[in-house]
Amino acid sequence: MKQLLPLFAFLLLLLAACQSEPKYYGTLWPNPQEVADFTLTGTAGPVSLSDYAGKVVLLYFGYTFCPDVCPGTLADLGYVVRELGRDADKVQVLMITVDPERDTPEQLAEYMSHFHPSFVGLSGTEAEIAAIAAEYGVFYQRHEGTAATGYLVDHTARVFVIDQQGKYWLSFPFGMMREQMKADLQNVLRRG
Amino acid sequence: MRVRKLIYLLWATAVFLAACGGSGKMEVTNAWGRTSPAAAANGAFYMTITNNTGQDDKLLSASAAACATVELHEMYMRENDVMGMRQVPDGYIPLPKGQTVELKVGGLHVMCINKQQEFMIGDTIPLTLQFEKAGTMEVTAEIRDSAEMPANMPGMQHGGG
Repeated sequence: MKQLLPLFAFLLLLLAACQSEPKYYGTLWPNPQEVADFTLTGTAGPVSLSDYAGKVVLLYFGYTFCPDVCPGTLADLGYVVRELGRDADKVQVLMITVDPERDTPEQLAEYMSHFHPSFVGLSGTEAEIAAIAAEYGVFYQRHEGTAATGYLVDHTARVFVIDQQGKYWLSFPFGMMREQMKADLQNVLRRG
Repeated sequence: MRVRKLIYLLWATAVFLAACGGSGKMEVTNAWGRTSPAAAANGAFYMTITNNTGQDDKLLSASAAACATVELHEMYMRENDVMGMRQVPDGYIPLPKGQTVELKVGGLHVMCINKQQEFMIGDTIPLTLQFEKAGTMEVTAEIRDSAEMPANMPGMQHGGG
């Protein structure tokens, strides 16, 4: 019986290896959880997260006045989605504005489609947006800019990945390489 | 013999002047801007500025026909990857002599406020830079869809697996 122990241990290790996750470049959230549905406003009326059930949703909080971080991130996501080829339609990028006062659904739609025709921008009331942001631990805060810019908004610059089961456990920090995001998304899609 | 002495003298003078930095220039390379829709009110330009003039200088301002207003801005990171943007202190970017200052994604940029046109990939946008001592300089920013990505920022978590 004692002689069988090493074999048993070896088999256990093998089993663990089969089940182990591939390496992810993004940040893994320790407690994967099903995310709550939400409904905001697009150009054609209400848009819910559940409208994209079965897709990987990449959720971002930004605003169209943002000249540097937001267009940078969205351009990267546009590149990554195009790179996914046949799997591109299994991924949906949503940006929720942190500036509902200035970002109308029409303006958001035009802004988002510039980066990829499938991208969707969502607006809503201050209270609706604040509630969703809180759920993802997203912080945003207005501060005075210059006479020319008007107010500016500090905001969390992170992309939240919601998998095809509607669970959140992975996010992409600002500045992550495009190829790393692509590799992570391919692994998320492989899980189904 | 006399001619040779004169040549030595001229050569020495040239070396001396070069050492003074009198013949150096303000060099601006890799000027680019990001593709941006007409719906985006603002845009950003990036570039690398090397001050070889031999004296400290400042980038005071910039202007472009493509922008109603141009200001010099910087990004900053607060706790927990919260990013923010503000005008640089006193409105100018210091350019110490002999140093290279990079305007790049997530850092310093020339901010194009109230953009007058869509920026499409391949467009070229003329910019005028105003230095305190080096005077004005015309540069052309090429519109691209991406930077060479910045190196991953320090203090961020990676590869949680």
